Amino acid sequence: MRSLRFTGFMLLEYLRSGRVALEIIATMVVFFVFLRRVGISMNAEYFFSVTGVYAPILTLYTTAAFIGLGDRPQGYVLLAHGMSRTNYLLGIFGSALSIVAGSYGILALMAALFNRPLDLTIFGWMLGTIPLLLNVALLAALMLMLSPLVFPSSWRLTVLGLIALAFSSNFIGGPIFESLPPLVRAILRAIQAVLGGPLVPAFYGFQLTVTRDYSSMTAVANILAQISLLIALLGLAIYSFSRRDLIFSDGAQG
Amino acid sequence: MSNEHDMVIEIEDLSKSYGHHDVLRGLSLRVAAGEVYGLLGPNGAGKSTLLHLLLGFLKPNAGRVQVFGSSNLEAMRAQIGYIPERQRYHTRYTAREYLHFMGEMSGLYGSELSNRVEELIVLVDLEADANRMLNTFSKGMLQRLGVAQALLGDPSLLLIDEPTSGLDPSGQRGVLDLLASLRDRGHTVFLCTHYLHEIEYLCDRVGVLARGQIAAEARVHDLRMPSSNVMIEVNLLEPELRNQLQALSMGITCEPRMIQIRQNTPQLQTEVLQILINAGVAILALEPLESPLEQFYTQAVQSVTPAQVAQRPKKEKPVFVATPADLAPPKRPVTRPPGEGETLLNELLRRSSGSANGETNKPESEK
Repeated sequence: MRSLRFTGFMLLEYLRSGRVALEIIATMVVFFVFLRRVGISMNAEYFFSVTGVYAPILTLYTTAAFIGLGDRPQGYVLLAHGMSRTNYLLGIFGSALSIVAGSYGILALMAALFNRPLDLTIFGWMLGTIPLLLNVALLAALMLMLSPLVFPSSWRLTVLGLIALAFSSNFIGGPIFESLPPLVRAILRAIQAVLGGPLVPAFYGFQLTVTRDYSSMTAVANILAQISLLIALLGLAIYSFSRRDLIFSDGAQG
Repeated sequence: MSNEHDMVIEIEDLSKSYGHHDVLRGLSLRVAAGEVYGLLGPNGAGKSTLLHLLLGFLKPNAGRVQVFGSSNLEAMRAQIGYIPERQRYHTRYTAREYLHFMGEMSGLYGSELSNRVEELIVLVDLEADANRMLNTFSKGMLQRLGVAQALLGDPSLLLIDEPTSGLDPSGQRGVLDLLASLRDRGHTVFLCTHYLHEIEYLCDRVGVLARGQIAAEARVHDLRMPSSNVMIEVNLLEPELRNQLQALSMGITCEPRMIQIRQNTPQLQTEVLQILINAGVAILALEPLESPLEQFYTQAVQSVTPAQVAQRPKKEKPVFVATPADLAPPKRPVTRPPGEGETLLNELLRRSSGSANGETNKPESEK
């Protein structure tokens, strides 16, 4: 409950500060450039392709903005009032998610009003929206976890290194990969497979958003995998945040 | 509130470092219920770090911290009011909105919350500005808001960090008077500051934090003795009177409008003042040439050298540990804001006017 109240408090501050103007402008630009193309009708696949890319990009900015708001000495007073660190972190997460979800909702509403995808029903929209918002939540949780507020520098570097290794098949491939000794190649493949595992739900989630194909159990399993991964990331962030020294930025210790 | 003999804060052999930088080194102190404890130390001495350790924001490297007898500091926060050093609050709210939200975080709701907020707005004298956005507040107003937010949950313990830092003289006086009223209500207060006058005005006991340790502790009342060197300013001293005064002690030097007493004692000071009053000389001021608290602080800081700190074994007792007598429930003297004159002078003047009115010379407490 306190977490929800804190989310409301953060959102009100964000709205009053005028920073939300950036999200509104970006949403308008995306709508008029990509979704409101005069004379060209839009289908559901196109709509979700655009929003499936736009929402995560917006998440990068908005989550960073809310992490900045949370990582200020003002937080000491809040926490001194008995608010738990868990609620504090969830409040930041919830605030960022609310703004991105709200922007996505406005974009979808404008599309429905002014250039409705011909093959998209409300039910279809919901089927595409669920994995999309779960991807947004996953990205926000990952950013929160990797913020200076939560992870110390050494942990951040380690996790970023692991993510780079997971993606390494994209930039260590072809001739370079083949030139490596067989043992190194085998180890690298194994590491990429292991570390790439947690990325699968996010990528498949994007595919599911676009196709909205829930005919196989794989789709449902992927939604569960996204939820599990989200809980794992938030759990890790909360665990780390609750155990470390709380030193907000610009909160010099005297 | 708990029994007055209970310890509200107990810190034992506390150490805290940031990386390789040791901030606190085996610090020990205790604060009893109802006591106002002032922690003096220069900027960067570790005062804010200590407060954050008490609030559970930071984890100690070694040692024990207990508040209200519990080491679970996060669970104790409901009983603690915290006023931070810098007046940094979420400024996109009005004072009333902010207090409402903080009240909810403290577990207050409905009419109880509304009543509490209105009561505190009156207490800190922000009625006229309660609906103004905080980003239009002056530093003094923000600090008074800070006091209000700290009192929302009706805490038993107040942790206050540099309450008058950055305030103008009028703002400082307002905040100090407000804190004095809280002290008089019986709150236990732990005050960190580097201003000696705040300690003199507000505190029962003072500790000096130097090089990560409590270098010395004392009852503020004990430091309110006449200074060893004082200056008395008068309207005019006749030569005969100057001679009479100088005959009292080698430490007395007189000029036509000023008397300096070196190696002062309460008896000597009383004698001088009595002579002046009997001679009808107008006393314009009596000021210590240096404050006893200042002497205490300087000696305490100088008593802890880096070499001593480096040589001190980890388990050795701190330089000073308060005795049970030091921790007895506070018996507060009547304190006055800084600059309102010497207690002894006031007492003599009271006696003088009491004799003229036929009153007995009872102590203030017995009247």
